[in-house]
Amino acid sequence: MGNNENFLSDWLENKMTDDELKKIVSDENFLAFQKIKNAVENLKIEDSNLSSNYEAIQSKIKKLKTEKSKVFVLWKYASIAASLLIFTATYFYFSKVNKFETGFGQKQEIALLDDSAVILNAKSKLAYSNFFNFNRSLTLSGEAYFQVKKGSQFTVNTLQGKVEVLGTKFNVLSQNNGFFEINCFEGKVKVSVKQQSIILIKGESVRFYENKIEKWYEKNKTQPTWLTFESSFKNTPVKLVFEKIKNQYGVEIAIPEAIENIKFTGTVTHKDFKTALQSVCIPLQLNFKFIDSKNVEINNE
Amino acid sequence: MKNNLKENCLCKESNFKNVFDSHFNTLRNFLLFRYKNSNYAEDIAQNAFIKLWENCKILKIEQAKSFLYTTAIRLSLNEIKHQKVADEFGINFAFVSLNNETPDFILEEKEFKNRLESAINSLPEKQRVVFLMNRIEKHSYNEIANLLNLSVKAIEKRMHQALLSLRKVVDNI
Repeated sequence: MGNNENFLSDWLENKMTDDELKKIVSDENFLAFQKIKNAVENLKIEDSNLSSNYEAIQSKIKKLKTEKSKVFVLWKYASIAASLLIFTATYFYFSKVNKFETGFGQKQEIALLDDSAVILNAKSKLAYSNFFNFNRSLTLSGEAYFQVKKGSQFTVNTLQGKVEVLGTKFNVLSQNNGFFEINCFEGKVKVSVKQQSIILIKGESVRFYENKIEKWYEKNKTQPTWLTFESSFKNTPVKLVFEKIKNQYGVEIAIPEAIENIKFTGTVTHKDFKTALQSVCIPLQLNFKFIDSKNVEINNE
Repeated sequence: MKNNLKENCLCKESNFKNVFDSHFNTLRNFLLFRYKNSNYAEDIAQNAFIKLWENCKILKIEQAKSFLYTTAIRLSLNEIKHQKVADEFGINFAFVSLNNETPDFILEEKEFKNRLESAINSLPEKQRVVFLMNRIEKHSYNEIANLLNLSVKAIEKRMHQALLSLRKVVDNI
């Protein structure tokens, strides 16, 4: 035991007896060690208050939980806000409607998002939403010439019905008075009015008016004449011919009811109002009278 | 707290409370021996139990004690920079006097106790912690070695040196 350099630790743990220690250290030292050992035996540390410490722990745990849940709630609100923002942004983006409208005698060329092109004739409206990217669908009132890039189904919705194509050139005329005419210049076009649907191929045209359907064929037609500042008509009721002239020149034309359904075939210029009137009235033996520069009266006497 | 837990799961509140009851004071005292500040010691001990609670699912009851000591040491290392003041305090011992001796003797005894107390407080930290864990908390050298992750030899050395250091202070008996 005497060889153990930490003999005091052995003695403290009673692995070494007092007598054994006395052999190694002086009496004076032994007494001092013993006095310390005994005195330390009587030292106590006051116990802590267990229940208050336990409560402290519980409340700290609760606090941590609420802090965590606060962070969570904040995070939750933030994510809801963010997704709402994205949702509304997307909604507004896709529901945003692009509108185009032409006035009297105006034409407007519109490039669509899918590289298709539309030329809008006078007094016409065209609208499509940003959702167009996905469904290639738009709304037309008036007259427009479409050059559709090949791709998925392309739909033109009108008051009277819809025109569906895959990729062609065609003209749509949809008037508020119920007149609906489609001319196909390339490829195939499917026209649906109510339950009926008609397929047009290159050179074919169809007209829906007053419950009548008229279909005809013209060779060598590559684009609507109105693109070259003329309107051509084939067996068209004169009422509609004047309607188109009104749109081009922004004038009022009064016609007697009796002549409304006289058919007209021919071409009318967009450049000169008087020439235009003459080109309709002379072959049909009608007279016209200027009441002022914007008002014309037609009669058949 | 959650129900339907296994009988011996630490997450069961009654088990956790038992661990708390049996280890809180000794853990607090260990920290007190080390940092000589009882408020600080209680705070760190509480935090160690919170960590124990947070990890109750992955710990077994048998592992709780050593987890508590390791965690307490780690926690106090994190905070010790802010706690340099701790040294200004010191451990206050309650002195249990067993015999009703003469007033002179009691006075002498009390004076000796004060000197011993300040001697213990000025021991180097390593010696003080080990010496008090053994003498006051009655941990065996083996237990201390396990809790502090030291060899038994190191514990013995510290015990020996602690007694030698104290011997110097109480020289003139």
